[in-house]
Parts: sequence; C-alpha cells; structure tokens
Amino acid sequence: MIDGLALSQSLDLLFSGYGPWLYVLPGLLIGLVFGAIPGLQISMAMAVFLPLTWNMDFLQAMLFLTSIFTGGAYGGGVTAILMNIPGSSSSVATAFDGYPMARQGRHNEALGLGLGASVVGAFVGYVLLFLLIEPLTVVVLKLGPLEMVMVVFWGLTLIATLNDSTMAKGLYAGLLGLLLSQIGMSTTGTMRTTIGNPYLIDGIPVVPAMIGMFAASELLRLRGNSYLVDAKGLRTISLSALLKGFLKTFRYPKTLIRGSLIGALIGAVPGVGSSVANLVAYGEVRRSSDHPEKFGKGEPEGVVAAESSNSSSEGGSMTALLALGVPGGAATAVLLAAFSFHNLVGGPSFIRDNRDVVYSIIIGNMGQVILLAIVGILSLRVLGMVVRVPLSYLVPSVLALCAWGGFGITGTVAGPVTVAVFAGLGWMMRRHSYPVAATVIGLLLGRMTEGEMVRTLQISGGNPLAYLAERPIAILFLILLLLSAVVLPLWRRHRENRQSAEEATAGSS
Amino acid sequence: MPLRIAPTHLVFLVLGSITAIYLNWSAISASTRLYNLIVVVPVGIALLVLAALILGKSLLRPHDPERLEKTPLRETLGDVVLLACFGVFCVALTKVGFDLATFFFVWIGVHLSGEKRLWAPPLYAAVFTALLVESFGSLFPFPMPLAVLS
Repeated sequence: MIDGLALSQSLDLLFSGYGPWLYVLPGLLIGLVFGAIPGLQISMAMAVFLPLTWNMDFLQAMLFLTSIFTGGAYGGGVTAILMNIPGSSSSVATAFDGYPMARQGRHNEALGLGLGASVVGAFVGYVLLFLLIEPLTVVVLKLGPLEMVMVVFWGLTLIATLNDSTMAKGLYAGLLGLLLSQIGMSTTGTMRTTIGNPYLIDGIPVVPAMIGMFAASELLRLRGNSYLVDAKGLRTISLSALLKGFLKTFRYPKTLIRGSLIGALIGAVPGVGSSVANLVAYGEVRRSSDHPEKFGKGEPEGVVAAESSNSSSEGGSMTALLALGVPGGAATAVLLAAFSFHNLVGGPSFIRDNRDVVYSIIIGNMGQVILLAIVGILSLRVLGMVVRVPLSYLVPSVLALCAWGGFGITGTVAGPVTVAVFAGLGWMMRRHSYPVAATVIGLLLGRMTEGEMVRTLQISGGNPLAYLAERPIAILFLILLLLSAVVLPLWRRHRENRQSAEEATAGSS
Repeated sequence: MPLRIAPTHLVFLVLGSITAIYLNWSAISASTRLYNLIVVVPVGIALLVLAALILGKSLLRPHDPERLEKTPLRETLGDVVLLACFGVFCVALTKVGFDLATFFFVWIGVHLSGEKRLWAPPLYAAVFTALLVESFGSLFPFPMPLAVLS
C-alpha cells in the first residue's frame, strides 16, 4: 500500500532544506485571520494569495495554500466559540456547545478543546489519507447521487430531531431552510421566483444568511447584558487554562476518533465536505452519548466532535483532489488551480507518476498541523480578549462587521441586506425556540439535495425505489435516517416520560 | 378571547406559510416538470401541515399569560429598534458610503445598547470605522463606496 522508495524521496524533498516550510507559518496565520473574521472565506484567502505561488515551486505552493486551509479551518471555530458566529459553514456545530461554554466563562477551555480537536482531527485525516489514499478512491467512486441524498436527509433529520425544542419546530425550521433554498434558478435551469430581485437569480447567498441567522440574531439577544461572560473573575485569558483545555481533548479518545473518521470519510465525497461532516459527527456523538441532554448547553464532547470532524475532512477532501482530480469544495478548487499553475493535473496519473510529491504534501500537512498547535495557542491569547469588551460596544461593532462580511462575499448590497433579513428571521425563531441551525443547514444543502434528487431520477429511469434496492450503501444510510427520524424521538419521549414520572414520585414522597 | 400564541410567533408562522404558498405558486407557474417541483412541492406541503400543527397545539393549550409575556415589551421594542437601525444601515452602506453608514450605526448602536456617556460612542465609532476601512476593507476584492475616507 505504501511505496517505500517514494516515501524516502518525499522525506528528502521535505527535510533536505527549509524551502518547503518557508511559507507554512505565514499561511497558517493568514488562514487563522481569514477564518476568524465572519465573511472572509478560507477559499477567498486562498484565491487572494494564489498569485503569490507563481514564484514558488510546486511543493512550496501546495504547502503554503494548504496551511491557509488548515489555519482557516480552526479560525472559523474561534468566532463560533467566542461570539456564536461560525466563520464558515464547517464550524456551525462548533457553536452549539462552544458558545454556551464561553458564556459560562469556560472560553479558555473551549478554545483549547477546539484547538486540540482540530490538531488531532487534521492529523488523523492526513494519516488516513496517507494510508488509504488508493482504497478510499474506490469507495468515493461508489457514492452516487442517491447516497448523497440519503446523507443530506440524514444530516438534516439529526439536526431537526436533536435539538432542545419540539420535533415539529425542528422539522419546521429545517424545511423552511430547504424551501428558501428553492428561490432563483433551479438546478435544471428553470427560472423560479427571484421576488423581483435580480440578485436572487442564483438563490439566497448562503453565507450572509448564515451570518444573519447565527450572529446578528444572537447579538440582539445579548444586547441587554454587560459582558459576554458575566462574572468578572472568569473573563481572564489564561494560557494555562488554554493548555488545560487543549490537553483535555485527549480525555475523549472515542469522540476524537469517531469525529475524525466521520470527517475524513464525508470530506472525501466531492461536493459535501466539512459543512456536512461537522453536523453529522456532532449528531452521531450526541446520539451515542450517555448524557445527550447536556449537549447544546456547553458539553466539551460537542466541541471535540465538531472540530475534529471539520479538520479531518480537510484530509478527506484532499483524497478527492489528489486521487480523482475532483475538488470537493471551493478551497480544493483553488488548490486545483495551483496544480494548473504548475502545469500539473490531479488524478490517478498524478498519484502514479508523482507519488513522492503526493507523500510530501501529505507529510508536510502533518507537520503543519503540529505548527498549528503552537501558532494557535499563541494567537488565541489575542483572539480571546473579546470577552473583555463591554457588550454595549461589542454588539454594534460585530453587527457592523457582519454587514461588511455580507458585502465581502457578494460584492453587492445583496449581501448586507441578506444579513439583515435573516437577522430578523433568526431573532423571531430564537424567541420561540426554533433551532436556527436547522434552517441554515436546509438552506446550505437545499440546492445540492435538489441536484442529487434530479440525478437519481435520471439515472434510475424514473424508478428510484428499484434503484435503491441495488445500492447497499444507500440502504445503510436510509436505515440510519429512519433510526434518527423515528426511533430517536420515541426514545427521547420515553426518557422524558420516565424522568417526569421519577420527579413526580420524588415530589410525592 | 385571550391570545394563546405570542404575536411574533404568529407572524413567523404566517410568514412561513405565505412563503411556502408563494414559492410553490411561482415554481408551478415556471414549469410543471417533476424535476422542477421535486423539492419545492413536498417541502411546501409539509411546511404548511407543520405550521397548522404548531398553531393548533398552541391554540388548544390552556391560556397561560405568564408564558406568553416572558419577554418585557420594553426589551422587545429595543430589539426591534436596533434591528430596524441595522436594516437601514445595511441598505445605506452602498448608498451613503461604508464609512459614513458604519460611523453613524455604531454611534447609535452603542447608545441603544446601554452606553450612557455622550462623548465615548462617537469617538469609538470614528476609530472603529477608520480601522475597519483600512484593514477589513482593504481585503475586499470588490470596490467599496466611501464618502469621507476615500
């Protein structure tokens, strides 16, 4: 499975000089900053800095761009934890428990946990990529549109059912997101309504909508408080607490491994990537936990699951890029552009002819992950200071930043206006206990769901049920979907009934 | 008859239902092919059923004024005013310039969020705006209209 000669050549390429590592540190810092600012995307950072790679050799260019990718994946988690603003869709699940932890004054622990999980997750992702790049290619090719539809519905059902509200409200929120994703031109080219607004031809811009739903609506809720963390004594930024949180990650080995494996596998599927991986991993860890009721209220395992999966999905997405030449998302598409900059084409022939370079990229990324741990701990001291800013100043400032972020993504007034509209929607939803995450996920995956459903219909000749019978992986996902949609809510109700019965007994005695 | 559902909750459910009906009408008018309606129609119907269920459940529940008035009116109004200011600010960004719109929004926003001192908010808003234009703004790959700091 591993070519020994190519491996020794790759080590020679990486460690015979400092050249390949020269741009790794700046890349990690760029990624952290872009990831931590809502509205600035990792893919945007990679695209902005792509022209710089003209003068680099191929390995240098790849390590520089992947270090932006690695830094950005964790940077998105920082704002998710401190301000409930996922820097990107891959950090949505990080906010579920990271933000409640920050509100309880456990921001140091949450940031440390997130960093630890990111480092381990990314490392596991690349180790898996190193060992399994060839067999994974075979598995990825077996996942067709029907399997993708099942994965998306499974993810949506998990989020709709695993929230603190009622199942009806969870489903309503998820379906509302799916419905809103249908605005604009369909995936088959039919022009549906744009509500008279030409900016909506491509549909609602998802990232500004996400910023509005998560960040702006939460900021409105915070308005009445004085600080993000109420107790003055808990507002300190402590390196030892960060390190303690970092080391605490290793107390959850099962969650780390489960999150990393889910992330690597889902990340390897082109078009899905970390935005689905972090949600599925979070849902799965919560489902199998002995205390699922603690999730969403500041449970460290939730942060570990989300961050380990979104970071390991980076290794997974590199599988599709290196082995198939297919970028899994916007960030890997920029990497593919770097390939063409150097007159290279990804895919099976690239792996066959340049195995030493492939191994160098993978091992170089493992080195980057270790550097991320150091850079992360040093930069978190600065980033964590946000808890010391009075909310009367923080709320309008971050709201302004949200609107600017919306503009940074679309380049038109549509971005800020989308942020404002979804801030209002999120505000109403939060007031009446609707899970805003479900709506965001519906919106995020709606277009992909529609496209994959259409492709399934086309491939199956209009008979998807007969087609399903021939797809064992899709059947497995369907079983998981049914378990999440039917068994989980029944089990939850049973547990609630038992708890209230126990409380009643305790009260009467 | 006493109201058994919070007005903002009712508004949310009604808005969701109107959206479902409007988007379905629009999609069906555009094309009745299965490929066009495969998501929008089932999701729209499910959404209407769920809205009716949630509404029905709320109306059938015994009247509980304490539950309905958990949030003080003053707080709700404060949220609505800040939200309205934010909406105006978002539209104004490209109309009056990013710098001017941000300066005024942050100034007013700091006061609305509870700052009592008169001199601090405009000073903070000016520094914050200048920093934002020079740092965040310089990273934008798009032209950004500015009124003063151009």
